[in-house]
Amino acid sequence: MYPPKLQQIVDLFEALPDMEKRETLITYADQAKNQGPREGETFDLEDVRKDEECTDTVGVFLKVNPDRTTHYRVTLGPQVQTLTKAMTAILCKGLEGRTIEEVLAVPADFVPKIVGADLVRQRSQTVYYILTRMKSAATVWRNRDRAAALG
Amino acid sequence: MSSYAHPEALVSTDWLAEHLNDPDIRIVESNEDILLYSTGHIPGAVHIDWRSDLQDQTVRDYISPEAFAELAAKNGITPDTTVIFYGDKSNWWATYALWAFRLFGHEKVKILDGGRDKWIAEGRETTREIPKPAPTEYPVPPKRYDDEIRAFFDDALAQSRARKPLIDVRSPGEFIGEITHMPEYPQEGVLRGGHVPGAKSVPWKRAVNDDATFKSADELRAIYEGEAGLKPGDDVVAYCRIGERSSHTWFVLTYLLGYENVRNYDGSWTEWGNKVRAPIEKGA
Repeated sequence: MYPPKLQQIVDLFEALPDMEKRETLITYADQAKNQGPREGETFDLEDVRKDEECTDTVGVFLKVNPDRTTHYRVTLGPQVQTLTKAMTAILCKGLEGRTIEEVLAVPADFVPKIVGADLVRQRSQTVYYILTRMKSAATVWRNRDRAAALG
Repeated sequence: MSSYAHPEALVSTDWLAEHLNDPDIRIVESNEDILLYSTGHIPGAVHIDWRSDLQDQTVRDYISPEAFAELAAKNGITPDTTVIFYGDKSNWWATYALWAFRLFGHEKVKILDGGRDKWIAEGRETTREIPKPAPTEYPVPPKRYDDEIRAFFDDALAQSRARKPLIDVRSPGEFIGEITHMPEYPQEGVLRGGHVPGAKSVPWKRAVNDDATFKSADELRAIYEGEAGLKPGDDVVAYCRIGERSSHTWFVLTYLLGYENVRNYDGSWTEWGNKVRAPIEKGA
């Protein structure tokens, strides 16, 4: 239903009681700082901006391999909220190696399974933001690819 | 140089660091970022969430006096406890929680000047350990002080019609009606943009410095009296979108400038901008 690595993360969270869910989210949030571009990495698309929906600048960096599998890196400004940080680490891991089409097909309904319905209700703008940005980058790349194919 | 009307309403990070274990205080963190407390907080601080703890979960209102007593007791607070609030976003949510405590008549309240940002910036100690204060007996408050520090739609309308002071603390774009929610935040379902007729625009954040501390009394007077035209003794209503930003301004006017009749209109623009036939002004 979801990409296998994302499914593993969903399964992990679904098995956790609420308090442990929060602790695990914080653990993922701590890992967000490691999701930025590494020295020497190059990307096919870089999208760094500050949107109304997020409290600070978010940069999405996308590398697409010849077989259309993707590799995402994400940078976050210091004011970004903890939930956004957690979703960044979860999505970078969960979508690693999936094709452009698979990324675009990921349904957003995994989010409440990870975060819990309460947090989604209270902070809906935060929990979906990174997925939206990653899909947006994938869409831009696909459109450019299609335009290039048309010559 | 003048001083704050109630300087005792603020504590410094230095002071708090030396009084972490005082038995008569309870430190309360209240944030916009719902998981921030769990990532590390001031030792001994408990967490009170503005939405899940202080608001009724069904009706758009605050919790009952009974629920407040239960919340206070659970967090080891008695009527004699001095509650010191702090949080993210320049204490925006901390002042909201403080205002809610005052709604139930809890008088011993203070704000950590500079809030969480300053504490962290100074490299002070934090912990992930959740304190477990011994439960107390907190008597159910005999009333909620809605009449004293809270305004409802009819109060704000009367204020507008009487051309009495209304302070709109939202962003300039929201005030003039270009947008219906503040930048970075979700649209919470407002059908019309603009402001309450007669309101003056004083965005809440003008009251704080870059390090999240409050501006000096002279600077605050220049803003609220020099620019917005308030006068000591005025009956003031402050509003924003859902009453959180305006609670910050309520704190500034009440505690730092000494205004005795300030009410927070918590229905704010999400009520006014949806109300059929509510009068609206647009533009600066």
